[in-house]
Amino acid sequence: MKKRLIAGIMAVVMTAGLLAGCGGKDNVPESSPAEDGVETNGTQAEPQQADTAEATGEDVTIKVAIWDYSNTEYYKTIFDAFHAEYPNISIEIVEFSSDEYDTVITTQLGGHQDFDVVFTKGTPSLAALINQGHVYALDDLLGSDTDFDAGAYAGLVDALSLEGHTYALPFRYDNNLLYYNKNLFDAAGVAYPEDGMSMEEYHALATKMTSGEGNDKVYGALVAQWMGNIYMYAARTEDFVFDDPDTYDALIPYYKEFLAMQDEGVIFDYGMLTSSNLHYTGIFYNQQVAMLQMGTWFVNNLFENAKDFNWGVCSMPNNDGMGNENCIGGVTPVSIGAYAKHPAEAWQFMKYVCGEDGAKILASCGIIPAYSLGAVEEVFDAAPEVYPGAPDNLAKYISCEKKVIEQPMNAKGGEIYTIMEEENSAIMTKSITPEEGVQNMIDRVKAVLEE
Amino acid sequence: MDKLSRPNKGDRGSNLKRKKTLVAYSFILPSLTGFFVFTFVPIIFSLILAFCQWDSGNPIQFVGLKNFFYMFLKDKSFWISLKNTIYYTAVTVPLTMAIALFLAILMNKPLKGRVFFRSVLFFPYVASLVAIAVVWMALFNPEIGPVNSILRALGVVNPPRWAASTTWAMPTIIGLTVWKGMGYYMIVYLAALQGISKDLYEAAALDGANRWQQFLNVTWPGITPTTFYILMMLMVTTFKSYDIMYITTQGGPGESTKVLAYHIFNQAFVNSKFGYASAVSMILLVIILSVTLLQFKFEKKFTSNI
Repeated sequence: MKKRLIAGIMAVVMTAGLLAGCGGKDNVPESSPAEDGVETNGTQAEPQQADTAEATGEDVTIKVAIWDYSNTEYYKTIFDAFHAEYPNISIEIVEFSSDEYDTVITTQLGGHQDFDVVFTKGTPSLAALINQGHVYALDDLLGSDTDFDAGAYAGLVDALSLEGHTYALPFRYDNNLLYYNKNLFDAAGVAYPEDGMSMEEYHALATKMTSGEGNDKVYGALVAQWMGNIYMYAARTEDFVFDDPDTYDALIPYYKEFLAMQDEGVIFDYGMLTSSNLHYTGIFYNQQVAMLQMGTWFVNNLFENAKDFNWGVCSMPNNDGMGNENCIGGVTPVSIGAYAKHPAEAWQFMKYVCGEDGAKILASCGIIPAYSLGAVEEVFDAAPEVYPGAPDNLAKYISCEKKVIEQPMNAKGGEIYTIMEEENSAIMTKSITPEEGVQNMIDRVKAVLEE
Repeated sequence: MDKLSRPNKGDRGSNLKRKKTLVAYSFILPSLTGFFVFTFVPIIFSLILAFCQWDSGNPIQFVGLKNFFYMFLKDKSFWISLKNTIYYTAVTVPLTMAIALFLAILMNKPLKGRVFFRSVLFFPYVASLVAIAVVWMALFNPEIGPVNSILRALGVVNPPRWAASTTWAMPTIIGLTVWKGMGYYMIVYLAALQGISKDLYEAAALDGANRWQQFLNVTWPGITPTTFYILMMLMVTTFKSYDIMYITTQGGPGESTKVLAYHIFNQAFVNSKFGYASAVSMILLVIILSVTLLQFKFEKKFTSNI
């Protein structure tokens, strides 16, 4: 209670400062020097409460840190819609390169940049920012805001908390599916892939679908070159947990299957993919591969680009006989920067973008919002009418029973991922055996976690 | 000279001298300010950080020698990157120098189309590293690259898998580095070769020296200062380079092309361990500094013999 009171007083003082027109750097809520980052930043650096901002209602401009803004239409649509709804809040976009986003945002916030809203690329980068005290805890806002319903996010808001504090709202949730080219299967007279295939069945199917030589070769499947595309399979069945080295052995059977497929030439060679920078999109559009495991962001791409063939989706193969019960995927979190000048307006913005209004716009573009919305399923059900190649059962695969987060909130997530990526490259280029590589992962990740 | 400057004694003289000094300082001030703000201060800050723990958000904590203990005793990646850095430097530097010198001697001859060849050889240096790297990786693609296609056509059943193999990844990157850098150093050598007086060769020829003897006794001593300059520049750039690995292999496969500078980058900007990254960069600084000092010492010894 006392803390709440202090936070309230601080908020009033700060608002008064802002109103007096001296909203300079001195009034920015500094993350107070803390002995242990997470705990104190979680409670001390509490943002001001939403009602103080509603009281001001004056013209403010919020700074939004984001990537890919200029080449992603729906951001603009959503932000414009927000500004129309809240004319007093203008949005200043600060765009960074997608590839370097995690690095740049850490550096920028390290220099106390006053971003009000910070988009992050995933849970590990969010956890790292939290640990560094660069984003606000939202607990008070969540508690005091009566129109906010965390229940509409199917547990994803909880998935974005760390040590009992919530730091972000989920914007998108992308899970992973097995996409296939129906025309290739029809031509080969092979039955389409189905939910709940075992890895062995998947391997056999890929072998059947491999044909041709040289430039005309059609591969059975494509495993894109980044590490997530291997552990995804075991993570979906919850045999593998990203930040728990004791579960890493679950990767070995998957590695063995993929290496065998690579040896037989039914999937693309890892070394060839990495050294030629071949991108999965082009390969799938050009019908050079029959099956591809990829995130649901690919649905939107296929709507636009898959013009000359029909495609379908099913759940990913696995060794546990699991059908479409679990989804595995990643969240795009949105947070309030710790050096924000207008945290209350930032909260209004986040609530809008990650809420029903934002979700409707996302869904209309074929993007899956984190906010559970019937409208998304309607859009996907209607997809074949608009996009002739699309399947009619897409909706089924975005509303699964359990949404597993591929990388749980762990401040060392980035470090763990780097290690996995390194060992993965050694395994997939056959420089070491899967057993050795997984053992290296276990040893190295344990060392990182114990630090 | 001494006698001329002596009358500058007394008030008027020292005023003039002070004025001259001030003018001199004012000329170097802009570049000195730049150096101070963007190089010297960060180096000092980094030196302090090496004994601290800092994630860019939470307050800086002094931890004494902890970073160094961790580096030497626990961080296997540090030792791997150190080994890779030494491997990379030890092969790249002599190879680049030898090829650059060879090309320079070739280009110094009245060859037909000399200007064209010079431009061709210099081109990789001018072109963007990213573009060059993409081309190189495409050439050495293990499955569909022209290099392996040729090798297979020549009857090599299992050609090296280049960047997709822990053994061959480093040589592939070294090849790229040499290809990219040789043109520039060729030009530097060419300038040095043209600075050697023709009379010396004539005199040597009159004394009956053959080509090899001419090279050994005229050319080589004549370009020794240039050789030292190139050696030092190359050592420093290869020791601290990581851009090539970042673009081509990201340090992989496994950790086979991870060099110290790449390790530092990872620790600082991926893992947010700015203190630890600074500690590693101090080690890199010490290595580069001692190699450079050693070279200075040798340079004095060698060039004074000429």
